[in-house]
Amino acid sequence: MKSAEGRGRTLDEAVDAALIELGESRRNVDVRVISEGPEETVVEVSVIDHTVPSLGVGAPTNGKADVARSLVEGLLKHMGVRAQVTVRTGTDPITLDISGRDLGALIGWRGETLRALQSVTNVMLGRHLAEGERVIVDVERYRQRREHTVREIALRAARQVKMTGDAITLDAMQAFERRAIHLALQDDPDVGSSSIGEEPDRRVVVGPRKPAGS
Amino acid sequence: MPGRAAAERVRKAIALVNAVADGAGDEDITPTEIAEAIRDCLELREIEQGSNVRKYLGEALDAVSDGMPADFVAMTLYAALGALGESR
Repeated sequence: MKSAEGRGRTLDEAVDAALIELGESRRNVDVRVISEGPEETVVEVSVIDHTVPSLGVGAPTNGKADVARSLVEGLLKHMGVRAQVTVRTGTDPITLDISGRDLGALIGWRGETLRALQSVTNVMLGRHLAEGERVIVDVERYRQRREHTVREIALRAARQVKMTGDAITLDAMQAFERRAIHLALQDDPDVGSSSIGEEPDRRVVVGPRKPAGS
Repeated sequence: MPGRAAAERVRKAIALVNAVADGAGDEDITPTEIAEAIRDCLELREIEQGSNVRKYLGEALDAVSDGMPADFVAMTLYAALGALGESR
């Protein structure tokens, strides 16, 4: 599998650097963040092998991914949606990518329909999955793009917090987005994150990390 | 607007369940909180007796009581949200 390492000040810049080296577009690649810091972000960008229809190299080989893919294909067929379902390679948990034309309706308002599809998929796959194991369903990389976007927001907010010393409250976000922010900032020695408020208006606050013992 | 308040409450319950399923990292949501959010939906007069919305909400509440997986509860709540949209 063709891959390249990209470096940049932001996640987007790092991905773009790798894409230029590979001569590929964002739609055809998987992005793995190697490190994210206030000064530099390093990513590994791998070209998706479209010649492998389902279980690609590095995908879970226990057959669960294949079962999940077939199941989602069946669901989409019943819904009258024409789309291709592939298993994202080298990911844990199992991630299914749905691609096709005009799939906006499948994402729905703030990803609601996509999320519902994921819930149904996990319920239907229940007996094939170990306890706590889940399958992630993504449409046209919507979820991945959202995660990248909120990570960018987190890093930008962290830079501002370091400059001003004031905490910043971000917009209300879904749990997986808040998780992406907490993960993005967990290794930052100066800036931390916490969530406040109640669902569905729960927000992340990015602020200076308190010294230990205070 | 009829149905809007109900949709908001159902979405709140869904968000709570999804937060449990996704494990945002700083959540401490108990089944009691989820059950309360579903009961808040059921208390709304605009959700008619005998409607599919009420039926799905009741099933979601039972699922929480029975300790069913978060995805199952979420799926049932999405069904309630869908039925709410159809009834409008």
